[in-house]
Amino acid sequence: MISIIARHEGLSLLRSMQVWIIMALLAGLFGFQFLKQLEVFLSVQARLALQDHPVGLTGFMSVRYLEPLALAFTLIAPLFAMRSFSDEFRLQTYALWQSSPVSAVSLTLGKFLGVFLILLLNVVLAIALLGAMQLLIAIDWPLLLSAGVGLSLCTAACAACGLYFSSLTRHSLIAIMASLALLFISWMLGSIGSGALPLQGLAEFSIATHLHGFFQGYVQTRDIAFFVLMTLLFLGLTIIRLDSLRQKGHS
Amino acid sequence: MALHTSDSEQAGETPPTDSGSPLLEARGLNLQHAGGAGVSDLSLQLQRGDIVGLLGLNGAGKSTTLRLLCGALVPDSGSVHVSGYSLADAPLQARARIGYLPDQPPLYNDMRVSEYLTLTGRIRGLDRQQTAIRRTQIIDQCDLGDVQGKIIGTLSKGFRQRVGLAQALIHEPAVVLLDEPANGLDPQQMEGMRQLIADIGKEQAIIFSTHLLNEVTATCNRVAIIHAGRLTSDRPYHGEELETVFQEAIA
Repeated sequence: MISIIARHEGLSLLRSMQVWIIMALLAGLFGFQFLKQLEVFLSVQARLALQDHPVGLTGFMSVRYLEPLALAFTLIAPLFAMRSFSDEFRLQTYALWQSSPVSAVSLTLGKFLGVFLILLLNVVLAIALLGAMQLLIAIDWPLLLSAGVGLSLCTAACAACGLYFSSLTRHSLIAIMASLALLFISWMLGSIGSGALPLQGLAEFSIATHLHGFFQGYVQTRDIAFFVLMTLLFLGLTIIRLDSLRQKGHS
Repeated sequence: MALHTSDSEQAGETPPTDSGSPLLEARGLNLQHAGGAGVSDLSLQLQRGDIVGLLGLNGAGKSTTLRLLCGALVPDSGSVHVSGYSLADAPLQARARIGYLPDQPPLYNDMRVSEYLTLTGRIRGLDRQQTAIRRTQIIDQCDLGDVQGKIIGTLSKGFRQRVGLAQALIHEPAVVLLDEPANGLDPQQMEGMRQLIADIGKEQAIIFSTHLLNEVTATCNRVAIIHAGRLTSDRPYHGEELETVFQEAIA
């Protein structure tokens, strides 16, 4: 059942002109950022080679090209997820799911997977751009894989956040604003938490804090756990919200 | 003869009722905090072959009653059993045996009719093969052959209503709940709808809400009248003057 719902959700996204426009803009951003940072690398390559531990192309591009893209995915993921439930409520198609033998868990997971898989295509594209350099130069694949895992986990958490806010309202715009506000706060907690000692604990709730290591090749359990827990938290909240809709009697 | 085999949550299960049990049994339903009209102490039984017209003034609680019976709403108290399955204890099994057409058909405007019916068949638990067979049958039954390849958003209101009806019937449910099914139909389409209801009412139990008395006189063998959330009359219908019956029931 989850795969049927995921397929439906994914195809719904691909039928949307807005999604194709966003993906085209995203691909343009990947290309621009990649070429720009590649040019910077070529200009500083000689100086980098003189360091005790010289940074290679993959290490440089991972931090300068891929890490900033995480912010783009943080913005894009809720955009893709915002219509998942709010459009169903607004167009009154949610009655189909409410009267079907589909549990809230299946519906939530199906919709999440549908959105996430489409987003994952974009993550793969961003990684493939750097991976294609293998044709010209040796690529540090473990580091690239680490960056890919970080981007994917971050995207999954942000998509789950967008899905939850989408389940709260029939207005897609409100859903996107609310999820972006929360994700922005989560990013900013990293900066706030790096200041005075009493605030340092806040950095633990920051997306940026937990994401940075992935782009330097450090895959730490606590960082993976942060994103997995964030994803599960929002999926769990969505399931509770869908169950409560039957109790409250409106959609 | 309902088809329910592919969904793992329903596969291989035998309905816990014998052939003489009611297909739908609602006992003491109460709902006071819904967004729409409330329902008080509503009890109802549907047997195979029952075609029940649910009559009532606007805001009497007709739609709320149907949403309670299909599981889209959870009552404050009371129970609903479908083919012996409790909507509270075995919601997926119970909902798999219900076909529901809300007053606003739950249609995805960007899908083609045949795609949409495939989706609704699959989420109701039919496997691929059964879905293909039933889709062909229901397209024929609901006279959708000419529009099966068309985008739903381009269809007239009458065709949209028929697509909505087709999704409610595709899995051959034991109980069919229709909320104002004649909405938007022209006289010829209404006649077709009556014939269709009469046909499916031979093997299934049907309850449909309407405030058109002639719809009931033309189709139903039983009439239930709801007023201010209470079922004030529930009797077999043998062609008597319905206007008088209705006025007495809401007096």
